Amino acid sequence: MNFLFVELWPWWLGGIGVGLLVPLMYYFLNTALGVSTGYGNLLKIILPKTKLKWLNSEKFRDKFNWRFIFICGMIAGGFLSARTSGMSLTTSQMGIFTEKTSWSLATYIIWFFASGILLGLGARLAGGCTSGHSIHGLATFQKSSLVATVFFLLFGVIATFLIKLLVWGGA
Amino acid sequence: MTKKLGYLLAGIFFGFVLSRSGASEYNYIHYMFTGEDLKLALLMGTAIVTGAIGMKVLKHFGNKDSGGKEIKISTKPLTKHTAIGGALFGIGWAATGACPGTVLAQVGEGKLLGLFTMLGMMCGTYIYALIVEKADL
Repeated sequence: MNFLFVELWPWWLGGIGVGLLVPLMYYFLNTALGVSTGYGNLLKIILPKTKLKWLNSEKFRDKFNWRFIFICGMIAGGFLSARTSGMSLTTSQMGIFTEKTSWSLATYIIWFFASGILLGLGARLAGGCTSGHSIHGLATFQKSSLVATVFFLLFGVIATFLIKLLVWGGA
Repeated sequence: MTKKLGYLLAGIFFGFVLSRSGASEYNYIHYMFTGEDLKLALLMGTAIVTGAIGMKVLKHFGNKDSGGKEIKISTKPLTKHTAIGGALFGIGWAATGACPGTVLAQVGEGKLLGLFTMLGMMCGTYIYALIVEKADL
């Protein structure tokens, strides 16, 4: 069982697992795979009295609806994976990013929080994220998903180049 | 109730698979963008093909869900904000090594900085709500 629970899965197995979610969620739950709209549920939970009309739209009427349950499940899934593979319980490392920089914790927090804002705002303006657009949307041949995914990847490449050059000092 | 359990199981499965395949690792995303290691792109490509085949199979069997109801594919309109949103998202993806799905796996794994990415995403979603309050997008 080590190959499933300890070693990293090969890309094709992960791809098949993620891809199967699209038809399985349609078949058993009649629901389109997607994550980012669920961040609206989280906002509605911490700001129940908000007057903003988007947060009071129909999709957030029940703030503990499927999107919230799905998000909780995903956190639990990450937790289970970390426990079975023997990762440490918590870490303030973030791969090569924290190896190439030696900032204070506060600076890292600001970087990740600020960049998270771009992800949250970008996903809403684009109408979805990597799950809803790049996986679900492309698997169902949607033009907007192709446009969104091309821009996700294009600007990911540009930003990575700039981060290496300007933030990591040409490393 | 069974449906809620279904969503929970689907979420656990998704988070587990993302984490087990390394998609929640900063380096996995970074090396895709530098072109040094395309495993994540291959994973996404496999997922798209698998999903598309699965949807064709469902269509072949009458496009009905398990309860016999018609499956309605959720459509996402192309708007004049799709590209700009995609660009902002791409920058955030490269800067954090996470997307709205994989960050949840990161939080579950105990990656502290992932928690701040997630809080940032909530803040970004709130900014969107503020923008659409003033302007009709």
